[in-house]
Amino acid sequence: MANTAPTQAQATGSPQGEGARAFLKFLKDNGTLVALIVLMLIFSFWDEAFFTPRNLTNLARQTTIVGIIAVGMTLVIIINGIDLSVGSIVGLAAIVVTLLMQAGVNIWLAILLTLLLTGVLIGLWNAFWIAHYNIPPFIITLGMMTIARGIALTLSEGGSVPVTNQTFGEIGGGFFSVALSTIVVLLIVAYLLFAQYRELKQKQQYGIGVKPQDLITAAVVTVLAGAITLYAFSYRGLPYPVAIFAVIAFIGSFTLQHTKFGRRIYAMGGNEEAARLSGININRMKVAIYCIITTLSALAGIILASRLNGASPNLGNMFELDAISAVIIGGTSFSGGVGTIIGTVIGAFIISVLNNGMSLLEVPTFYQLIIKGCIIILAVWFDVLSKKKRG
Amino acid sequence: MGEVVLEMKNIVKDFPGVRALDDVNFEARSGELLALMGENGAGKSTLMKVLSGVWPYPTYQGDIYLRGELKRFYNTKEAEAAGIAIIYQELNLIPELTVAENIFLDRQMTNAFGAIQWSKLFAETQRLLDELNITDFKPADKVKDLTVGKQQMVEIAKALSKKADVLVFDEPTSALTDKEVAALFEIIRKLKRQGVCMSYISHKMEELQQIADRVVVLRDGKTIGPVTPVADITLDQLISRMVGRDVKDMFPKGQFQRGEKVLEVKNFEIDNPDLPGQKKVKNASFCAYQGEILGISGLMGSGRTELVSGIFGAPPGPARGEIYLDGRPVKFRSPHAAIEHGIGLVTEDRKRIGLILGQSILQNMTISSLETVTNVLGIINEAKEMDLAKDYVKRLAIKTPGLDVKIDTLSGGNQQKVILAKWLNIKPKVLILDEPTRGIDVGAKVEIYNLLNKLVEDGVTVIIISSELPEVMGISDRILVMCEGEIVAELTRDQATKELIMAYATGSRK
Repeated sequence: MANTAPTQAQATGSPQGEGARAFLKFLKDNGTLVALIVLMLIFSFWDEAFFTPRNLTNLARQTTIVGIIAVGMTLVIIINGIDLSVGSIVGLAAIVVTLLMQAGVNIWLAILLTLLLTGVLIGLWNAFWIAHYNIPPFIITLGMMTIARGIALTLSEGGSVPVTNQTFGEIGGGFFSVALSTIVVLLIVAYLLFAQYRELKQKQQYGIGVKPQDLITAAVVTVLAGAITLYAFSYRGLPYPVAIFAVIAFIGSFTLQHTKFGRRIYAMGGNEEAARLSGININRMKVAIYCIITTLSALAGIILASRLNGASPNLGNMFELDAISAVIIGGTSFSGGVGTIIGTVIGAFIISVLNNGMSLLEVPTFYQLIIKGCIIILAVWFDVLSKKKRG
Repeated sequence: MGEVVLEMKNIVKDFPGVRALDDVNFEARSGELLALMGENGAGKSTLMKVLSGVWPYPTYQGDIYLRGELKRFYNTKEAEAAGIAIIYQELNLIPELTVAENIFLDRQMTNAFGAIQWSKLFAETQRLLDELNITDFKPADKVKDLTVGKQQMVEIAKALSKKADVLVFDEPTSALTDKEVAALFEIIRKLKRQGVCMSYISHKMEELQQIADRVVVLRDGKTIGPVTPVADITLDQLISRMVGRDVKDMFPKGQFQRGEKVLEVKNFEIDNPDLPGQKKVKNASFCAYQGEILGISGLMGSGRTELVSGIFGAPPGPARGEIYLDGRPVKFRSPHAAIEHGIGLVTEDRKRIGLILGQSILQNMTISSLETVTNVLGIINEAKEMDLAKDYVKRLAIKTPGLDVKIDTLSGGNQQKVILAKWLNIKPKVLILDEPTRGIDVGAKVEIYNLLNKLVEDGVTVIIISSELPEVMGISDRILVMCEGEIVAELTRDQATKELIMAYATGSRK
């Protein structure tokens, strides 16, 4: 806290000054969330087509593919790694699953095989080089990015593969009924509020400084998100892929915050050598994490193929960059050890709100790219800035 | 005694929630060494940061006078320009560059095209080294090839090349061998004769009597007592100023009954990964028993750290040899395996490989033993974990505002206690500690010794590496001495004298 003097000056100010200060602190702690809300407000006022159940449902569906990958990318970036092969794996998985079905394999078996072959197997391959030979993940996954794309093109002979199976199309395109969706969303909101309250009580009991304001913020955000979700799903209900994304994000978040595995991930990211000397099996952790991200990417590829009712070998092009952007915008530090899934989910939504909103406003694609790039730089700058303030 | 060069008056520095410096007053004169003593967390580093402009002018209150002139530094550059140089514990040199390049890093002599004039650079550096009587290394040597002691000399030369006349040493000898310390002191004496004003932060009492002229003590951010000539104060008086109480017995020693042989190491060897054919540890064999503290002494680089890292499953190079735990042969391929067998290692370099900085003391405490607070699914029982951590905070008297506080914010002694808690929670059979009290204040040291005694009483086998002879002699039942990768002597508590250990450690006796 290098700026003691100005803080003291403010402390003597009016209650209004104090309120402004609390608001500024809120902005600093929840920058990405505020950015998402502001973006949504801007687009809502600008174009009335934005804040409609139909568009919001689409927006949620658009977020899922990159969102699922970004959950895995969060883990990888927390341990100071990177995986550039995810976009190509999306394309490869889409081709493999559709080809398998074309060959008459049962769809569930085809999905399982795809997850194993293009997910787990590639993850093992990446991790083998990264963990065993200590080759920088950037290099290994860069190579894999080209290899996987090449395999996808080879298998499909450069063309696209159609899907005829009705059931398969449901995975990416189906909906739960509005009634069921409403009940589920209400239950989740109730559970989240309860969990937040319980955590506050527990932490207070152990003398950990949690302010009631934080709880109120969390509760308000939860209720708000729930309300928007209910409004959006009044269109046709909860889309299957969104449900899959929500489950994966929940499991990811829970794992990071409340399990042994999650603790070890943070420890590795904070100080890998200290973590090793604390008895963490670094190699095994890396294998697990690099397999998780490739498997999630394969799943994303399957969902994408289902939604499009077919696959082309170029699917998922540049998805690795969107996923990394979502993670970074969501506040995960590129220097490792810091980051949350919640942040990443918000980051993913920021990206798709931007894409969706700018398309509605008919901003030319070229400008969209420039704006997206600027926002990523802004996010990293914010991260660096808030770290400096703390230090 | 020279004129007053530096004067700090009524310095107050606040951090959120704590007053780090509270009305600090002292003055330092030219041609003298003023020792600045105090426990860790007493505010010495903060004071130096105020002096060097790391905490710029309006963030503190009080006045700094340099040769009678009021100075306000808005950044570190201004302090440097005024002639203040600080030689930090962590050296700020670039390993891949030469000595000369490091010394003239931001002011290299260049020609009109911006190319470095090497001959001029080297000549100027050589002149500087000659002035300091440094002959151990040349201007063209790469810094990474120098020992820590020599790197420190480079730092001093760098400071002097900037015409600094206020030099502050921050625990300069903590990583030096006795020989290097002697060389450093020689330079300090020379600088004194040249009229440089120096300040010296240290925990080591013996050194102060050798080198310091006057001493001032900081405690809880306040200067305790006036600036006193070293000749006029006894060691006991100094310690009581520092800790606010008398420390009668620096090395409490429990009386134990030696039990079973727990750990036996036979013909242990570790290759040097950087120099093929050479070995970091040669043919080491020893035993450790239940109910005793085994000390390992030796100079820095004698292979002590490598030996214990090797036993712990983290050797710096390929390792061979036999290890028996409770009579059964074991082989640890990783620290993970060693921990599963009940072996813990408190590492030497706390900041770099001990702590997980940026994370809470809770997370640091349970990272090696998450099994004790998780269920079958690996889900952490947070209430249980916090109970456990709270218990250790109480038992080890860890001073912290809470469990979720980042470990970075604690003082060295409290950080070390968190690490001890981490290892205690694996319920160790053998606990190895590598320089566990380095950079820790006197009060915390005694607490750690008491804890080790308690552990031995509870049946833990304790092995401790220490460079400080009084420490290793004070708390060990048996002492191994290492020299150049070999265990050259095994001394009982009664046999060990300072002279004998040094004779073995320096290789002058075999």
